[in-house]
Amino acid sequence: MSTNTTPAERLRDAGLYAPGDAVLSVRDLNVRFNSENGVVHAVRGVDFDLMPGKTLGIVGESGSGKSVTSMAVMGLLPETADISGSVRFKGKELLGLSDKAMCKHRGNDIAMVFQDPLSSLTPVYTVGNQIIEALTVHNPTMSKQAKEARAVDLLRMVGIPSPKDRLKAFPHEFSGGMRQRVMIAIAIANDPRVLIADEPTTALDVTIQAQVLEVLHTAQEETGAAVVMITHDLGVVAGMADDIMVMYAGKPVETGTVEDIYYNPRMPYTLGLLGAVPRVDTATKQSLVPIEGTPPNLALPVTGCSFAARCPLVSDACLHGEPELIAVPGVEGQTLGHRAACIKSNELSNDADAHKIFHAPPKPVSKFDGVARVEREKVLELKDVKKHFPLLKGALIKRRIGTVKAVDGLSFDIREGECVSIVGESGCGKTTTLLEIMEFHPDQVGEVVIGGVSNKVATDHKTTMTMRKEMQMVFQDPTGALDPRFTVYEVLAEPLENLGMPKAAIKKRIMELMKLVGLQPDHVNRFPNQFSGGQRQRIGIARALAVNPKLVVLDEPVSALDVSVQAGVINLLDKLRAELGLSYLMVAHDLSVVRHISDRVAVMYLGKIVETGDVDDVFDNPRHPYTRALLSAIPVPDPNLERTRERIILQGDLPSPLDAPKGCNFATRCPVFAALPAAKQEKCLTLEPPLASEKDGAQDFACFFPDGEIDADMLVVHA
Amino acid sequence: MTNIIDPIAEIDEARVADQDVVIGKSRIIFRRFMRNRTAVAGLFIFLALFLFSVFGGFLTSWDKDTIDPLNIGMPPSPDHLLGTTQAGIDLMALIVDGTRTSILIGLIVGGVSVLISAVYGCTMAFFGGKVDATMLFILEALIMMPAILVVAVATSGSGGLKDLPSWLLLIVVLLFFSWMGTARLVRSLSMSLMQRDYVKAAKYMGVPSRRIVWRHLVPNIGSLLVLDFTRGITGAVLAEVAFSFIGIGIKLPDVSLGVLIGQATGQVSSFPWMFWVPLTVMFLLTGSLAMMNDGLRDAFDPSSSSIGRAKRTKPQTAKVTN
Repeated sequence: MSTNTTPAERLRDAGLYAPGDAVLSVRDLNVRFNSENGVVHAVRGVDFDLMPGKTLGIVGESGSGKSVTSMAVMGLLPETADISGSVRFKGKELLGLSDKAMCKHRGNDIAMVFQDPLSSLTPVYTVGNQIIEALTVHNPTMSKQAKEARAVDLLRMVGIPSPKDRLKAFPHEFSGGMRQRVMIAIAIANDPRVLIADEPTTALDVTIQAQVLEVLHTAQEETGAAVVMITHDLGVVAGMADDIMVMYAGKPVETGTVEDIYYNPRMPYTLGLLGAVPRVDTATKQSLVPIEGTPPNLALPVTGCSFAARCPLVSDACLHGEPELIAVPGVEGQTLGHRAACIKSNELSNDADAHKIFHAPPKPVSKFDGVARVEREKVLELKDVKKHFPLLKGALIKRRIGTVKAVDGLSFDIREGECVSIVGESGCGKTTTLLEIMEFHPDQVGEVVIGGVSNKVATDHKTTMTMRKEMQMVFQDPTGALDPRFTVYEVLAEPLENLGMPKAAIKKRIMELMKLVGLQPDHVNRFPNQFSGGQRQRIGIARALAVNPKLVVLDEPVSALDVSVQAGVINLLDKLRAELGLSYLMVAHDLSVVRHISDRVAVMYLGKIVETGDVDDVFDNPRHPYTRALLSAIPVPDPNLERTRERIILQGDLPSPLDAPKGCNFATRCPVFAALPAAKQEKCLTLEPPLASEKDGAQDFACFFPDGEIDADMLVVHA
Repeated sequence: MTNIIDPIAEIDEARVADQDVVIGKSRIIFRRFMRNRTAVAGLFIFLALFLFSVFGGFLTSWDKDTIDPLNIGMPPSPDHLLGTTQAGIDLMALIVDGTRTSILIGLIVGGVSVLISAVYGCTMAFFGGKVDATMLFILEALIMMPAILVVAVATSGSGGLKDLPSWLLLIVVLLFFSWMGTARLVRSLSMSLMQRDYVKAAKYMGVPSRRIVWRHLVPNIGSLLVLDFTRGITGAVLAEVAFSFIGIGIKLPDVSLGVLIGQATGQVSSFPWMFWVPLTVMFLLTGSLAMMNDGLRDAFDPSSSSIGRAKRTKPQTAKVTN
């Protein structure tokens, strides 16, 4: 095993050993962009072979070059990009082809599914039109009837009900998940040999994500195409991929089969990534593995290992010369393909503990942890809060044609020192609930009590201000939540100035805050754009804590952050809760994060809570069919488990608020309902199940037939 | 999450934490502007014209009120660099004066209308509801008003406005009709800004509304206003020329480029210099502004494809390695 090979030698060797039957073979791919700061070397030598019918997962953080790689393969990068290396499709070189020549391959041999289904379909053409367009481009001789028949076939294949009628529908008549299905239908229209899916489910809800992944699976089976799956979510690829390539700073740092990567990582970065993901299926309350620091600046030449600055195992040898991707020395049962770019890969044994290596902090203990829940004070109480929006129609004279019950009679409370999470699909009313609490206005329907102050008496500025001091908010998008023209000092000073604090005290408090959230105090004069996403979220948290609130409302606090950064922020939130005795009200769609951080959870569906209780009770023993479906939709970063476990795939999307079901809201999609005999179904359709607990049950749920049998059609197992 | 995959933005995001790669926004804007050759040329032409209009009087010993009885309607000569009119007035002196009037009208109308529209637009967006509806109605009504008639009536001296110099009158009337478009733009922009998380954050912190507008809204529509300022100047100059050309704008004894062009149209064949010189100056003026505007837009546009100074310096050696 020689370690000192030049790129040219590597290229030659790789070329020699590259199996001849690979559909797509990439060698030493380099991409450079010109920017204000100089030449950015975004992709630095990517090699891979894609075998027919196999799935390659490319995993990495934002900026690791995974999307750029796929765009380079498709020839979709802007002309200003400087691309070198070799991309061969069935032995034919694709790099350097003209745009026109590339068009012959794009969509025909290599197709792509993009991240955002909402913007990848043209709104002015029908769905059928767009599928037929894809067919026409590559099959000019095909007859109109044949194309239409093929389009119907395709729509049926991706699971769109009554495909013939839906051909004439426009994209806006489809939900996000349906549009992504259409995108997949278009991508597989010409039976491509390679399908590149760039974060195909990132913009979707978990239940819809499960559906779309299922469709991708079928599409691959039907066409036999090789799939390149690009994602940042280690769970999504665990069940799908055959091989994984982990990218960091534009370079693959570890490649191998799924089992190699997940069970036997030999590069500290992979190890850290795996430890940074909270698990939805385990109750262990252990801190997550934070990977400190940020990826290197690719505008500067990389000397030494690109991960050295963040690696806990770094030594002097790591700083001299970038390690090549070399085969990991064989352990029993080790496949040959496992390669890692780390000079210490030998030292990382099979049972390396990420928590120890990355110095994960111990789980913080709050002073409230020992106190029984009923003895703690209530910091927030909601009593039958409702928010109904009228649905109006008509241009000049608006008439009311219906009501959207965004929040429909919500009651819950939060005690000191606990974290309550609201989970559910988008459109279930979780964000509206937060806004209702934040608005805090006497005219609201229902009562909101914050720190003993009710919204019914909040008629003057002074009462509102007392409440605002008790409760603050952290926003989802750390970039949007900070005024780009404010320095960090100004951002943090705003709430304090508003309280009329003297200047000197403000200064002192800001220094405290910076230290509290783990930022360097001398960074206060910088602007938000000079910080990374994780640091910006820390600034957002510091701002929320400035006035010493008791309750912090977290609106998807980590969903905009990378996995490795997310772990650091979650650990910080955990620490602050323990140290300052804070309570959190969190809204999140990532159930693994919810499981990790919260004490109690409320599952919402169409404006109502369908199940609530302690997080471990609800997650380990879900009673309501919706909770069961939601939990089973979450991919787990464990390939063996992921391949064998049963999944409930819900049919369809949230029902439109206009024809909201009369009895149980969930009946239209319910897997238990579908399996019930007609006599029992009647009950679900006419009566509304109340939110109540069973005699010895730990949690409250709203279902007549908990733990009912699941309809076989909605159960999927990949053997 | 961004909808479109923008590789460069993704990379930018990843390395922002590095100290040395952070460049101030104003510096990026300046750099981008300076990189646009056309825009820089436009800036120089505009500055040159401005200096010419202020100090151009020193280039000729004549002024616009003095008649040279020996040179009536003469083509350019060493005595009169740009020739004389058929009344024997030095054209250079007239051009200097006319350019000054035109630039003055442009700057004042451009600047003040931007101010009015910013205040009006922000107010509409901020208060919303009935205030917004009423103000929007007034705005729409003004857009539909035939500006040309009002200009004609106002500058013809009816309504007791005769004491004002005609250029001042024209400024007032042009101002009256120039701010509506931008006001609507500002309104929609501030409405979208009001939805930003940081404005919400300030609201939930209990920051008073007036302070939110002043500290969060106004600075963030700044770049739009700068752009609109240069656009407004061009618009005002063109409007002045057009109105004066048809005889309802600037009235003698004041001169402007429009007046000069209008006077000369009848005698293009006999006194060509009288037509072509002011026309050229007008083209230089509006053209330079248009060139500048293009560069400014590129500089301010965050999604601009302007790619740093590192412009393809490397030869592509390893393009395809077969």
